[in-house]
Amino acid sequence: MSELKRHSVAATEGRYPMTQITATVNGREVSRSVPNHYRLIDFVREELKLTGNKEGCGAGECGTCSMFVDGKLVKSCLTPVQKIQGAEVETIDDLDRDHGMTVLQRAFHKCGSSQCGYCIPGMVMAATSTLRRNPVASLDEIKEGLGGNICRCTGYQKIVDAVELARDVLNGSKPESALGEEDATGFIGHSTRRLDAPAKVTGAIKYAADMWMPNMLHMQVLRSPHPYARIVRIDTTAARAIPGVECIITSADVPGVDNFGVAIDDQPIMARDVVRYVGEGVVAVAAETPDIARAAVRSIEIEYEVLPALFSAHEAMQPGAVQLHDFAANNICKHTRIRKGDVEAGLKDADLVVEETYQTAAIEHAYLEPEAGLAYLEADGCVTVQSPSQNITHHRHMLARILGRPINKVRMIMSTVGGGFGGKEDMLYQGMLALAAIKTRRPVRYVFTREESFVASAKRHPIEIRYTMGLKRDGRITATRMIMVADGGAYAMSTPYVMNKTAILGPGPYAIPNVWVDAIGVYTNNTPCGAMRAFGAFQSEFATEAHLDLCAQRLGMDPVALRMVNLMRDGATTHTRQQLDRVLATECLSAVVSAAGWDAGVPFRQGKGNKARIDLGGPGTRAPCTLGASLSPPQKKVPVGSPDAVMNK
Amino acid sequence: MKHRGRGVACGWYGIARTAAMDRAAVWVELDDGGTVKIATGVTEIGEGILTGLCQIAAQEMGVRPEDIVLGDNDTARVPEAAHAGATRMTYMIGNAVAVGCREAFGKFREAMSSYWEVAPGSIHAFAGEVWVEGSSIKRMSMADAVQVLKKERGIVIVGSGLFTSQHTPLDPDTGEATPWQSYVFGAQIAEVEVDDDTGEVQVLGVWAAHDVGRVVNPQQVEGQIEGGVVMGLGHALMEDYIQVDGQTTTPGFAKYILPTSLDVPQVTSVLIEEPDPKTPLGVKGIGEPSITPTAPAIINAIYDAVGVRITRLPATPERVMEALRNKRLVAAEQSERA
Amino acid sequence: MLTFDQYLTPATLADALRALHEIPGARVVAGATDLLPWARDGRAGDVHLSALVDVSRLAELGGVSLAHGRIRMGAATTIAAFQHDPLLREQAPVLARSAVWFADDQLREQATVGGNLINASPAGDSQPALLATNTNVTLARLENGSIVERTLPLSEFIVGPGKTRREPREIMTQLELDALPGHGAAFEKVGHRRSMVISTVCLAALVKLDRAGLRIEDARIAIGAVGPVPERLDDVEAFLTGHMPTSASLREAAEMAVRRVRSRSRQAYRREVLVNFVERALVSALAHGGLAVKRSPKETEHV
Repeated sequence: MSELKRHSVAATEGRYPMTQITATVNGREVSRSVPNHYRLIDFVREELKLTGNKEGCGAGECGTCSMFVDGKLVKSCLTPVQKIQGAEVETIDDLDRDHGMTVLQRAFHKCGSSQCGYCIPGMVMAATSTLRRNPVASLDEIKEGLGGNICRCTGYQKIVDAVELARDVLNGSKPESALGEEDATGFIGHSTRRLDAPAKVTGAIKYAADMWMPNMLHMQVLRSPHPYARIVRIDTTAARAIPGVECIITSADVPGVDNFGVAIDDQPIMARDVVRYVGEGVVAVAAETPDIARAAVRSIEIEYEVLPALFSAHEAMQPGAVQLHDFAANNICKHTRIRKGDVEAGLKDADLVVEETYQTAAIEHAYLEPEAGLAYLEADGCVTVQSPSQNITHHRHMLARILGRPINKVRMIMSTVGGGFGGKEDMLYQGMLALAAIKTRRPVRYVFTREESFVASAKRHPIEIRYTMGLKRDGRITATRMIMVADGGAYAMSTPYVMNKTAILGPGPYAIPNVWVDAIGVYTNNTPCGAMRAFGAFQSEFATEAHLDLCAQRLGMDPVALRMVNLMRDGATTHTRQQLDRVLATECLSAVVSAAGWDAGVPFRQGKGNKARIDLGGPGTRAPCTLGASLSPPQKKVPVGSPDAVMNK
Repeated sequence: MKHRGRGVACGWYGIARTAAMDRAAVWVELDDGGTVKIATGVTEIGEGILTGLCQIAAQEMGVRPEDIVLGDNDTARVPEAAHAGATRMTYMIGNAVAVGCREAFGKFREAMSSYWEVAPGSIHAFAGEVWVEGSSIKRMSMADAVQVLKKERGIVIVGSGLFTSQHTPLDPDTGEATPWQSYVFGAQIAEVEVDDDTGEVQVLGVWAAHDVGRVVNPQQVEGQIEGGVVMGLGHALMEDYIQVDGQTTTPGFAKYILPTSLDVPQVTSVLIEEPDPKTPLGVKGIGEPSITPTAPAIINAIYDAVGVRITRLPATPERVMEALRNKRLVAAEQSERA
Repeated sequence: MLTFDQYLTPATLADALRALHEIPGARVVAGATDLLPWARDGRAGDVHLSALVDVSRLAELGGVSLAHGRIRMGAATTIAAFQHDPLLREQAPVLARSAVWFADDQLREQATVGGNLINASPAGDSQPALLATNTNVTLARLENGSIVERTLPLSEFIVGPGKTRREPREIMTQLELDALPGHGAAFEKVGHRRSMVISTVCLAALVKLDRAGLRIEDARIAIGAVGPVPERLDDVEAFLTGHMPTSASLREAAEMAVRRVRSRSRQAYRREVLVNFVERALVSALAHGGLAVKRSPKETEHV
């Protein structure tokens, strides 16, 4: 394929031929001249400034950009703009044709279907398409209709609920009053409809990538292709010569102390002298258009001296391994210890000792909103960064030090966050943006691609957990030992705090007299790991709960019964020897057992000759997914009017 | 052939920042038109906290949630509330809003009691109406009350709120500490169907019971649980950020697999509502606790369905088939020996 | 990012062929659903082409019709038409069964059958069903200013991952395939989820019973994603044809497929699934055709 990769002058300078596009967008004819490589999403967002639909991945894999073209729903990131010549386009921005929200949008509001809201414009479009096609669509048909749209926040349930509600209101089987809000006799404890939902279901709310300022520049970043290398030389001569390139920055341009981090100051805002992971930012360019900035990035030459790198936490801890950070002996970033009682004695006292090793994977947060930000200078000289940062307080502290300015001359504004899950706690790009805004005295915007978000942002730590548990025959746990080794990647990010949480919570909500936990976070040349929803506890509690099931099997005990024996009660002492007062652990287990109708005696009774299972397939379960819901029954007809007429009422 | 099974898992979680002092501050003003301004450091990242804070402020100030204006998310304009994470939003900022509103409402009560010449305790307000208990005439809208206090008494009602959660650092040798003040417990059951032709696992149902404290907005609490369960399902069965010599082989959504609407179970949430005695509002949090039990409940359910234990996440179809293959080999060896 | 000097939307096939002839490096585009994701970081990166020639609206590449037991379908037919076109649904139901597994609703509106074949991904989801229906593809080129066509079987058209017998200046215009309304049809696929998913193994099966409804008169099984190219299981088909299917014979037939797995990765997994899929698809296609055959019990059951 690489023979196709050739660069004309246009590509070298980031200026492409223009094309004239005439189409009807949301009922109005528009005619614009745009770069010929524009896709429909670029035309709508960048040219028409209709920012309701989002670009979540640019590769047709998420559905945030779904739009109608001549009545067919398509992914606008996969639609060359030339394909809409003379066509009718509908975006989320005016789906209601100025009649307030559509029935479907009102149903999303009613059902609490939007959380971060970034996937919601695409979801509303996909659901609209499904109901236009079949106003009596079945539950499975609705789910298949949404199958091209990813949501990371909601778990889809309240979205599907809303589509079912809208379907019923639209086809007349439920009254319109079903969309209204119930009266409240008090506000705390009431399912008040989300106040931000109308703006999210209509696409009106602005995320950082939707913002636009006059005279704004666009940033692109050259990232490291190597996991570990010394930067020998950076040559930006060709890039500087490109018309429209306004500023090129490297770590040499940082005026203050370029060393920061969530927990340990081990990180520069761009690689300084060495790169430590693939995707680490090295050079940033701000230019008049994203195309020019991208062309400039392509023309920068960097000479690297590739160094032997570390890709495994265990190897990194070996004596003689390469040292990735001077201060971290054996590449150990953090070692958290929990010691309670006497584990050896506890294991000796046990009737059964069970050992097993568990391994979790590195996990991408996969918020639908890729990182984006906008920085500018204010009249009083304050530099302001708007970005979906989960920690504006700490970012301001760190950035003031990096920029060498008083803290009140740095202002961080948290723009609407399109999903975070911990992944937007790290200050990945705000420093580069602020620096470029200060240097150019112009607003600078930077929007990550999905691929950049994947390689540059922190992950959930993959952790290996070696487990030893001792139990009495009646199920009582006498001792727990957990040895956990986590790959923290190239920089500390939140690793020290994650190690604390994985250790403190790891042995689970159980009263255990003897506990030994080691949680070791290690530097490697992999993508850094950091904060993510449940912050280390996901990994360690997974091991504990899987291990308890194995122990129940060995003991011949019901897994619920084994947990009941060991769960903490009121007044329990935790593994860190904290005395608790009220503990509702057994209440939760009893409640879920009764809600699900747990059949005591499982698991794995099937085929063992015991009595038949009575717990499976009851209320609370869905039917297994077999695709093709729309194939089986004949397509039903609309009760009254055309689907479009119904949808637009 | 499809096999069904069920698995259970418990979980627990500490609320707010770990082993470090946590704090959040709020400013409150009872404003013209019976509206309320609340200023605080950080709010919404999608969980619904903005609405929850407005509900809390409305309840405490006697107005409606839509009467609240929330100034937030700006280090130059609003007081510090630290960061948006750690299941701390409802707990830290919700409590701070309550504290600030209580201070402001206390001043309002004082001022109105002096205006109406009644005891402060007899003044009540709800949804934009203010009245004196037992009186049919001493009653007005919050909008009028604000106007009266400003025009006739020269009073602007303001308040501030601070909530601190006292956490201590870990002893470096033993880990001894009070890392959190409040904990959330939980338990989940998952039902799966395993296809032994392919190793595919479909999760058909998840039941989730969590001790969430006093509930501010049940719909949003369910939303957090449903979202957490599905993220946990992704971690259990699909998600794997893979690197080979430091280069990722899963650089986008085509290779990094997330659950779609066709892969998710029906989720039944059970909210165990007992107010947390250690805080002014009794609220806790649910963002993170909801995710911890899901993956092990699914993995344990796979064992229940087909008798194999997956110890390495995610349990992809390949790994489930491999485990089944190994199980057959072991069974064959055993029967040979017998 | 994909950039180019020109984007052409020719009005006729002749114009499109002329553009390919005259502009060195010009590339044909139809649905664009594979082309745009290809030119991104992690795959081909930034790519600049001389020209894109959009053939998706050419009349010569459209249409669906039936004549003499064969379906004729334009190469620019979208995958969505497999599900929604009444003629295709009735005459080739196996196409609809495979379409519901193809990417998602929206991509199916854009992606074309011709594009899917020309991209020749080993995991292309339309290929097994089209192989099983004996599809021929027609390619047009310009020779001395006039259009010349050639037709070849799909089984010969795809020669390797991303490789076909299409010459750079040829455009696929039409497909022709068997109308098999009376065959029992089944499609099987597994990936890592149930929407927008790349196949690890996929398979289409078509079975026709004799008049008595007892013997297999015609069996067609085609597999994808387990080797460099999709292929028909001709040996299995021959083994089954003319015989009365039994639980044991279906298992035996299925096990014949094991050696077909030639992928470099996940071989053990693919072998096992392929065998299971052949057996399962045959049972299900026979049931669809009116004959219930029980599947042999598996060792994994009641373990």
